[in-house]
Amino acid sequence: MFILTKIADLVQIAPEDFRKQSYAALEDNINAKYANKVLQKIGLCICLWDILWTSEGLIGQGDVEFRMVVFRPFKGEVIVARISDQSPEGIHLVTDFFDDIFVPWTELPEGSEFEPTENLWVWKEDDQVMYFDNNEMVRFRVIAEDWHDQTPSKPTEAEGTEEAAQANYKPPYQIIGSMNGPGLGCCLWWE
Amino acid sequence: MKILESQNALLSNYEVYQHIVDLRKRNKTQNRRVPGNAHHIMTEVISYLRTQPSPLAKQDETQAYSAEAISRLLERLREANLPSELTKGEVLSILNLRPTNSAVLSTAIEDMEERFTEDEQNRIVDIIVEVLGRDDPEGQEEGADGEGEAMEEDVVPSIENGH
Repeated sequence: MFILTKIADLVQIAPEDFRKQSYAALEDNINAKYANKVLQKIGLCICLWDILWTSEGLIGQGDVEFRMVVFRPFKGEVIVARISDQSPEGIHLVTDFFDDIFVPWTELPEGSEFEPTENLWVWKEDDQVMYFDNNEMVRFRVIAEDWHDQTPSKPTEAEGTEEAAQANYKPPYQIIGSMNGPGLGCCLWWE
Repeated sequence: MKILESQNALLSNYEVYQHIVDLRKRNKTQNRRVPGNAHHIMTEVISYLRTQPSPLAKQDETQAYSAEAISRLLERLREANLPSELTKGEVLSILNLRPTNSAVLSTAIEDMEERFTEDEQNRIVDIIVEVLGRDDPEGQEEGADGEGEAMEEDVVPSIENGH
């Protein structure tokens, strides 16, 4: 679920940070730049793990090699998340620190049906009915990931409205999951 | 910025947990403030790792996970003489999920039914429970010890209402 990624970067220590120890100044600088950000095709950065090497500090900046803790579950990995929202298309999941996980309806267990009145999915197995309740903790398998570079693109004609921009929003890193299989779905089912 | 190695190592949830807990202790004694974005996400990761059914939910009290416990788990699995060796990814998933029955174990082990008999699956589960323990499935969130007690002082109130 978490990996270490080795990165080299130029780090500038501003004069107001000269009172800090070098290591502390570098650490804060790197965390300020990377923590809680998605690096394309790498994952979601959590925090600095360690500093491997630094150049002699030059005026203004220095080279640093370091390792970041990164959230990047591998394909096939099973992890736990919470149901946040449901629709006929499928189920949205979140963890406390990552919001963009989607399980399409095709990846729900066989016999799953959407209840439009309650706006939730139920799994009917034999004569048992089990509910995918919102906020329930579930286990899901990572089957794919979607990356969307957030680099601004040139404005397109006529769709200047805020809603259009909202509708077109694609998360920088989205995980596609499956809950079809033994042990998957609501954790309570498998206690 | 240059990526030197996109995946230098895999980390278990326990290692990430311990890293953040150690950082917070250090920051407290040295009276250091970390950048807001880093503080924010570290708080969220810890709260995720402390939410049931995470095996680290009660780590503060039980200390079930430790470097020794992990090497003991590996040793016990080796001694179990399983017909098929567990891969690194599978052991990592076992550590992160701590399966306590074979249905959950099957999410951590590829083609489990083909590779291990029912008896061997049970043996693996027994070893996991013996070395890493288990939290009683009853008394789910609100345990007997009252709520909020596992929180640390520097945890900012979450925006969500919880469950």
